[in-house]
Amino acid sequence: MKSLKKEYFNPFFSHIYVEKSVRNHARTQKILAKFPSAEIIEINHYKDVFCRSRQSTRFQHCAQKLILAARQGTLLYEGAPVCQHFGNEHFYYVSCTMNCIFDCAYCYLKGMYPSANIVVFVNLEDIFAEVERVLNHHPLYLCVSYDTDLLALEPLIGYVREWCDFAAKHAHLTIEIRTKCANPSYVQSITPNPRVIYAYTISPQAVIDRFEHHTASLADRLACAAGLIRAGCPVRLCFDPMIYMPDWKQHYHEMVLQVLHAIDMDNIMDVSIGTFRISQDYLKNMRRQEPDSAVIWFPFQKDGGYCHYPDALMDQMESFLTEQLAEKIDREKIFRWNV
Amino acid sequence: MVYIFTALYCEAQIFIRQFHLSKNPENTWFQEFHNASSGIRLTVTGVGEIAAAVAVSSICSMYRPTDADLLLNVGICAHTDKTDGVFLCNKLIELATGKTFYPDMLYRHDFCEGAIVTGMLPWNAAEDGYSFSASTPDGILYDMEAAAVYQAGIRFFSPHQMAFLKVVSDNGMTAAFSREQAALLMEQYQDCITDYITRTAAIIQEHRSRKNELQEDEQRLFETFCADLHCSKAMRDSMRQYIRYLALSDVNYIGMIRDMYEKNLLPCKDKKEGKRRFEEFKKRIF
Repeated sequence: MKSLKKEYFNPFFSHIYVEKSVRNHARTQKILAKFPSAEIIEINHYKDVFCRSRQSTRFQHCAQKLILAARQGTLLYEGAPVCQHFGNEHFYYVSCTMNCIFDCAYCYLKGMYPSANIVVFVNLEDIFAEVERVLNHHPLYLCVSYDTDLLALEPLIGYVREWCDFAAKHAHLTIEIRTKCANPSYVQSITPNPRVIYAYTISPQAVIDRFEHHTASLADRLACAAGLIRAGCPVRLCFDPMIYMPDWKQHYHEMVLQVLHAIDMDNIMDVSIGTFRISQDYLKNMRRQEPDSAVIWFPFQKDGGYCHYPDALMDQMESFLTEQLAEKIDREKIFRWNV
Repeated sequence: MVYIFTALYCEAQIFIRQFHLSKNPENTWFQEFHNASSGIRLTVTGVGEIAAAVAVSSICSMYRPTDADLLLNVGICAHTDKTDGVFLCNKLIELATGKTFYPDMLYRHDFCEGAIVTGMLPWNAAEDGYSFSASTPDGILYDMEAAAVYQAGIRFFSPHQMAFLKVVSDNGMTAAFSREQAALLMEQYQDCITDYITRTAAIIQEHRSRKNELQEDEQRLFETFCADLHCSKAMRDSMRQYIRYLALSDVNYIGMIRDMYEKNLLPCKDKKEGKRRFEEFKKRIF
């Protein structure tokens, strides 16, 4: 969890904006009970706060607010072309929460959303109903932690557990929970389900220190991933996005050594490898917000509306990591984005 | 710079005294006071939404606030329940339209917080009652400027750069309250308000982004480098991207360029050679 000690900013979730329509919803009440001293501000629609013009995500990340709302309109989305599909035909993601308590310098959410505040949609039952409707037609591979880090929010909203319970009741549903957090108490209390995949984003400690602010350390992420494997859960390691640094080879090599030391690779479900890439429009927004962030001012190559590292560098970075990992894991278990 | 907007002169007096503000005789449209060394510019807007919006728009068009500046709307107001206290507004409701506006509540403070309704006319509780509309909550502030200041201010400031501080003067009985009383009331809260201004302005200054434009000598080197590479417009734009990235990454790109000159790789004799050198330069980076 992020440090809240900076004395001049309000504490994390000091203010909670609540849509009138969900004021009495059971999940709203449950969440509000965890913040007895928060200032509660009633709103008509979450976009009145979330979509204000000229917001500074940079400042808002210093004192994020919580918005509780009802999700309306589209409830399930098909995966974007830059997402890894892992061979799944019906690859969808769901946005039951928008934004993240972590503050990764390269995160696409900073370009996608106009605000750094976190929106939690409390009408999870409507999303479950939509998933059930789609499941009537075909099986579903669903990423539930795409536009957020749901596991990092688990102590506050408990959605991971709700999704796990839901997945346990639906044989044709597989869910992926992507995270950069380390939550040992969650790991200890887990009930394994082969259709609930825990996907840990793994980065060298140097990348974490420099760009993945407030996230768990590499060692802590690996310890949790190892714990989940021991408990019998499917675990995916996502070396994605790989971030360029002048001495990237050294950092990624050290990271691989640390991974191999901590994780029994024979029991890994699979790994994904991909260098940083982002929609051109998101990058434009991010650059406006962060004029002094090296990671997003990289001179990217543009292709079909997406920005990525130059082809040669991208190939060099992904091949390097693939070769390092291929020594310990079957190649068919390695999903590389750029192939 | 902190841009303070008050509706009345009696609300502005505490700031004029505290920050030693002097009147700007060149501004003949509004009463404007400033002190460059304390970084305060205060404007007396006049009463009402239109007057406030016009003043904010006019002053901001003249002085062009930056991302390091703060807008503060301060003054007296009414409250449906309370008869005193100073409030930082977290929700502004425009009575005429029902529109709501939310300044960011990022900084710590010692005030109470509350929602405020902004109306076109003074609120007279005896005639208008205590409920402004079905959608307004109980226990609410009432003034005649805040929502308008926000709407004009948002053209120039971000929501985290605007604050709305209101001192409660009455319960909807404005006629019973004189300008002298208003000035005295503002004095009561002078210390906490000025402390808030000073602290918040400092936070915004400290956290604003460092502009990454090239310094003058770096710009000169960049121009010479591009000229000696015979850069086209596209190559030049691309080079600027590289230089910007290298500067942000603390890579000694100046040394790399100088090295090319020392090895007589520059200046290039034509565009073709320039392209080749540019590719070599990129390869050296990554």
